[in-house]
Amino acid sequence: MGLLTILKKLKQKEREMRLLILGLDNAGKTTILKKFNGEDVSTISPTLGFNIKTLEHRGFKLNFWDVGGQKSLRSYWRNYFESTDGLLWVVDSADRLRLQDCGQELSKLLKEERLAGATLLIFANKQDLPGALTKEAIQEALALDEIKSHHWCIVSCSAVTGENLLTGVDWMLDDIAARIFTAD
Amino acid sequence: MIIKASAAVGGGVERSPRVSLTQKKKKRSCHFRKQSHFSNMETATEASQENKFATDSDGAKIQERIQKRNQERIDGVERRKEEKETRSVPEENTEYFSRTFQAELACIEELLSHCSGEDRAEVVRKLEETTTKTAQLQKFVNDSVMFLTQYELRRSQAALQKLQSSITEARDKAMPKKKFAFRARTQDTAPPVAAPPAQSGEVDGGGGASEKSPPGAATPAQSEEAPEQCGFSNREGELLTKTAEEIRQGDVLLSHLSNCRVRLFGSPSTLHLKHIDSCEILCGPVSTSVFVDHCKNSTLAFPCQQLRTHHTTDTQVYLHVTCRAIIEDCQGVSLAPFSWSYPTMDADYAVSGLDRDRNNWSQVDDFNWLAFRTPSPNWSVIPEADRKTSWDD
Repeated sequence: MGLLTILKKLKQKEREMRLLILGLDNAGKTTILKKFNGEDVSTISPTLGFNIKTLEHRGFKLNFWDVGGQKSLRSYWRNYFESTDGLLWVVDSADRLRLQDCGQELSKLLKEERLAGATLLIFANKQDLPGALTKEAIQEALALDEIKSHHWCIVSCSAVTGENLLTGVDWMLDDIAARIFTAD
Repeated sequence: MIIKASAAVGGGVERSPRVSLTQKKKKRSCHFRKQSHFSNMETATEASQENKFATDSDGAKIQERIQKRNQERIDGVERRKEEKETRSVPEENTEYFSRTFQAELACIEELLSHCSGEDRAEVVRKLEETTTKTAQLQKFVNDSVMFLTQYELRRSQAALQKLQSSITEARDKAMPKKKFAFRARTQDTAPPVAAPPAQSGEVDGGGGASEKSPPGAATPAQSEEAPEQCGFSNREGELLTKTAEEIRQGDVLLSHLSNCRVRLFGSPSTLHLKHIDSCEILCGPVSTSVFVDHCKNSTLAFPCQQLRTHHTTDTQVYLHVTCRAIIEDCQGVSLAPFSWSYPTMDADYAVSGLDRDRNNWSQVDDFNWLAFRTPSPNWSVIPEADRKTSWDD
């Protein structure tokens, strides 16, 4: 491999990001991923295992890792932490009963050393449902204001209608790009 | 794998010189042999014979022994080889992966190329098939991630991506109207449930309250704060019914019921069942998910898009599910196809938007049972003879 090829490879790699999608079960992680990719969302089943999708957006190559959120799968989440640039935390805004669970799982993640450098985007999903909490309410319930270790942002969205998905991901890309692609 | 194989061969090579060495030793130590033969019962007669004679027959014996050893060695190698083959999964090698992947890809592309023409139903059917096949292929790739190289993974992902976009293209071309119909349906479900914004502010306090109180106590309090949710809580030994007017695409919550018979005529948006003991719960088509948590000794029946079952024991579910059912931390869950019916059910099916022809009731994912080929012991199918056929009171 010549020096030029190495440089080229490095350059290519720079435009690549690894994004990890996590959240409790039934939060809508797979639906967000599929909707973002323009696929049919009406036939999604609870994720047993994980999905990976690579897509191009604004000249970036995004590697999405969507890992199942069932209780029994959460212990496997840490297998996916390595070299993650951005963490998408998906919240089911209509599921008030488990908001506490949701907050606990999130704070556990934020203590993870391997996620220390990652940008955190919180999707307050399912805004199309009647009983959905507002993003302000979720911000309070998850005590997001206390997060000092990560850059974070909360965006209300609906995976079913696709509302605000782009806004959220764009914010995340900007934040990650500003952090790691400063050479450009 | 390769390292192991070469090690096995090495063992074989190592052994054969040792055999020839012993052979030489025996030839050289003729005088010593006599003594040793005395101790050997089988060759006791040989000992009295002449030396030359003995050497000949010994030569044959040694030959025989060498052959026997050689055979043993070959057998050993064979056995190890077999063992290795049974241990390693043939599916876990890159060559197999790329071969299968390419074959499947070609098959799907072939199918896709026929997805045009006059017969709309046929085209729709074919598109459906390509979609499911693509999903299967994606799953195959996902399952293979562990042993694939980055390059292989990227290549297969790119191929899938291309395929996915051509399917979308073909679908748009073949049935642009269907997409519109789907959107109309989701909008249809939205209007009756529109909640005033002030209410969600109030609900915010509810979230805080449920944070502090234990989950059991939070359930009834929560239903008070969200008036758009209907249901029953803390009942015992009653017959409970709800009509289509009461349900109207809302969320239904049933909690802390024991020995009750529940009939929900109508199409809820979601159905939550929590802390249910010895009940019979029948419900009309649920347009999204049904959540079952802490339920025991009960019989349930409903059509839905997804079923998520947790902490449930000894419960029968008569199910129509268009996506998939999952269980987690459950035992003794048994399933059969949905068989209840009531006069206005067809209309409720139309409201829910569920596909009546697609029922995956027997495809259950157990999240506590990740073994690949062996079925989960936590759920079973109710034998046809034991299924309930009449639901009348």
